[in-house]
Amino acid sequence: MLNYLVYLLTFVIGSIWGLLYSYKLHGEPYIVDSKLDAKTCIISIVGWNLGINSGSIILGGIGFLLAGFVMGERPGYGRKETAIGLVVAIIVYLAHLKW
Amino acid sequence: MADILINVIIAFLAGSLLLGLHRKIMARVQKRPGPPIIQHLLHSLKFFFKETSFPKTVSMPFYIGIVFILAAIWIVGVIVGPVAHDSLLILFGVYAVYKIVEHNSGSSSGSPYGKASCVRAVLSAATELPLFAAIVLVYLKTGSMNIGNIIGYQSTNGPLVFSIPLAAIMFFLLLLSKSPYSPFGITKDKALISGFETEHFGFLRGFIMFSESISWYVMLWVFLTIFFGPLSVVGYIIGMIIITFITGFINAVTPILNPNHSVMSQITIGAVCFVGTVLMVLI
Repeated sequence: MLNYLVYLLTFVIGSIWGLLYSYKLHGEPYIVDSKLDAKTCIISIVGWNLGINSGSIILGGIGFLLAGFVMGERPGYGRKETAIGLVVAIIVYLAHLKW
Repeated sequence: MADILINVIIAFLAGSLLLGLHRKIMARVQKRPGPPIIQHLLHSLKFFFKETSFPKTVSMPFYIGIVFILAAIWIVGVIVGPVAHDSLLILFGVYAVYKIVEHNSGSSSGSPYGKASCVRAVLSAATELPLFAAIVLVYLKTGSMNIGNIIGYQSTNGPLVFSIPLAAIMFFLLLLSKSPYSPFGITKDKALISGFETEHFGFLRGFIMFSESISWYVMLWVFLTIFFGPLSVVGYIIGMIIITFITGFINAVTPILNPNHSVMSQITIGAVCFVGTVLMVLI
């Protein structure tokens, strides 16, 4: 169970980090940001893939830290990027399953 | 010991994130942006560093003690459920004590809101009837109260949700009544400010939120375990997220019922499901 604790903790730390970072970056009142941010999209894809598919406690921890960073951004940001990252990671996970 | 500690921290973190997700879903259904998913956890941690004040009207030993009892009973819930796979009856006892905690937390505060919530806590004990009935039906079907044995039964005979679905609905009713902003959540009706929690500030409120997160995790875990058979960790994660989605959606579109309607609805649904399941088991 220790690995799941590490994943949860790193996800939470990543979320707090992402929230602080995005508020520093976007101080404006709430808007629906429809643009796709390439940088956070890559971070999200790498993060969710490492988190779900690496199978290693260290790489998984780093992955959930990155995934939490994007998902934890202030409301209105990081939603599409999270969805893309999660979908890619799930596809990779399903592709590696032994049916 | 380390296993218990790890499971309690996991229960707290996972429960907090799920409750944060619950708030987010409710907000999105109501066309609001909603807080970040991490918000419930941040709130819980924040209260531990806030100033704690004690109203003059409180009954001090109860007022403070009850908060620690609340945390203790849900830690027992984690030990009995995810750690030891022990008896469902102990979990029923945990839930019964939780109702006593709601009652005493409200009455010890000296606040009229807390006292009104305390009276409603007695009424809302009606949610224990469907829970008890669900446990009895699981026992009738599997011949055991032990969670480990129930998991074993399901691994050979298939998930119980397919053989006694009405019992699963009864248990789901309990989950719904325990979820935030539930139509059955009469003890925390916003007409009573925060109900039995109204006069608990600072680290005392932090402990209450800590316990609520653990309780949400434990109840989802028990529901998934006793009705959906042996699940992998991925199965638990998906199941918990789906149930949080469903309860969030229901709570977002349903106004809170008045106490009489809440109690009667739960008892009626419980009775119908109980009789239906007994018929299904006998036939």
